[in-house]
Amino acid sequence: MGKFWFAVVVGAALGVVDGLTSWFTPAVRAQLAGIVVGSTFKGAIAGAIAGWFAKKVNSVPLGILVGLIAGLLLAWGVAAMQHGYYFEIMLPGSLVGAIAGYAGQKRQDVRISS
Amino acid sequence: MISDKVLARLKTAAELPDLSGTRYRIVEQIGRGGMGVVYLADDVELGRSVAIKVLDDAQEARVLAGLEHPGIVPVHDAGVLPDGRRYYAMKLVRGARLDVVLEKTPHLPDRLRIFQKICEPVAFAHSRGVVHRDLKPSNIMVGEFGEVLVLDWGAPGVGTPQFMAPEQASGEVDGRADVFALGKILEIVIGINAAKPLASICRRAMESDPARRYAGPLELSADIAAWLDHMPVSAHRESVGERLVRFGSRNRTLLALLVAYLILRLIVIFWLGR
Amino acid sequence: MDADTQIGGANARFPDTHLSAISAAASDDAARRRPGQEALIAAYWKPVYRYIRIRWRCSNEDAKDLTQGFFTAAIEKGFFEAYDARKGTFRTFLRVCLDRFLSNSRKFASRQKRSGELIEVDGDSPERIFEREWTRSVFEDAVVELRANFQKRGRGLAFAVFERYDLAESPESYDHLASEFGISPAAVTNYLASARRELRKLVLERVRGVTSGDREFRCEARAILK
Repeated sequence: MGKFWFAVVVGAALGVVDGLTSWFTPAVRAQLAGIVVGSTFKGAIAGAIAGWFAKKVNSVPLGILVGLIAGLLLAWGVAAMQHGYYFEIMLPGSLVGAIAGYAGQKRQDVRISS
Repeated sequence: MISDKVLARLKTAAELPDLSGTRYRIVEQIGRGGMGVVYLADDVELGRSVAIKVLDDAQEARVLAGLEHPGIVPVHDAGVLPDGRRYYAMKLVRGARLDVVLEKTPHLPDRLRIFQKICEPVAFAHSRGVVHRDLKPSNIMVGEFGEVLVLDWGAPGVGTPQFMAPEQASGEVDGRADVFALGKILEIVIGINAAKPLASICRRAMESDPARRYAGPLELSADIAAWLDHMPVSAHRESVGERLVRFGSRNRTLLALLVAYLILRLIVIFWLGR
Repeated sequence: MDADTQIGGANARFPDTHLSAISAAASDDAARRRPGQEALIAAYWKPVYRYIRIRWRCSNEDAKDLTQGFFTAAIEKGFFEAYDARKGTFRTFLRVCLDRFLSNSRKFASRQKRSGELIEVDGDSPERIFEREWTRSVFEDAVVELRANFQKRGRGLAFAVFERYDLAESPESYDHLASEFGISPAAVTNYLASARRELRKLVLERVRGVTSGDREFRCEARAILK
């Protein structure tokens, strides 16, 4: 699995976990399923952006930063749709993106040079 | 009767090599090696300073001349003195002895890297069938540019008790006797209260039974490299806790990100969710 | 300190280099044993005498008597035959025998009672003291022999230069000596080098004569020149 897809997978996996943690907030517990699905997509897309960046630029700090920003923007979008819970969604969401970015940078692409 | 002062001078004078027919001029005595005395001398032909070692026997010169390695002192020239003693001229090592250098290097990874550099020339010599037999901090010099040089090769069976492998007493030695000595040196390098994996590496190098030691200096160096990279060390069986800690140090950034995520999540859940 | 005596010394060197004095002294063959014993006694007379004087603070006369007594006992009781080369150098063995002899000697004990307790000299161990006195006597005898050799070969000037430089308490510079003798500084260097070379040879020959084998010889040679 190359950098791109690895970052996507990591982002999605973290998104699942992140979504599940909303169970600890009783107010939104009822919509758990929807939150998890949304969070998974959010993570996957952030991972995709970070993964694509990782293929172009080889820099761990930048990769983390790109993932973080992507996660943040996506989370902001979701929060805007929910008309609330901005902090609750954006803060952890940005870190999900950051970790996906890190994963993408660290993953070794197998290159066959001719 | 000869006074103490004159006696001391006569002793030194009787020992001075007569290099009058050669291109070397003795300046002063700089040390006493395993089987000979070392003098600082000028090479008048090439205009440089060299070290002249006068031997009790010819073994070491022959041994050294066959070994070419950056960590083994190059022999420029050899000859016989008028009184029958053999000498050889070698590169003058400007630097400090290992024990002095270690005192000035408090950072453990740096000390370990110096130690790894000692293993290389020893391994090279082993590959050429030569065992040092008297490895110890006073026989190791660190030059001004960080190069490590191992001196005093081929000591004829008379090691230094503190660093001698048990089998050296009976005379049947191979490269693993050097591994033992390297273990003793490593002990000094890592100091007291060293990390458990390093202590295990030391223990393995210093096993009384040569068969249980590392096969050679490179294997020993490889385990040190593993520890420096936060990888598992072959001499040490780690507990689960140690394994986790090692994983953490190897993946510091990831750990930091996960911790940051966790903290933020917890803040969100408990504080903002109120 | 009273004047040291001249017993033993330069001319007493064991001539046969193939058979060391030690093995000769332990031999069953009386014809060999006698010269071997004499050579050992000659080589060790001065060191033993001086050791007694320094370590046990005896007078010249007492030390002479004790030295004579010791060597007499050595021959009568076969000390030389008792030496085992595997256990250490002959020099150390002799010193231990000497210390034992002195402790057992009645004359010594009575002298001790008169002069009081034994004092360690300047923190030097008995082994050190004996080694130093042995070294000193070997060099002294070698220098005397060197002088004789050089005179015989018409190299008196070389010896004179050596005497003025290496044997002086505070030697002058090469240049000073050169002008004093009317020769070049290079000649001074050469004379010194050749005298030192010969001295080394003589010193090592003497050491060979009183050691029991190659290993002991190398060990003692290293000790004497350190």
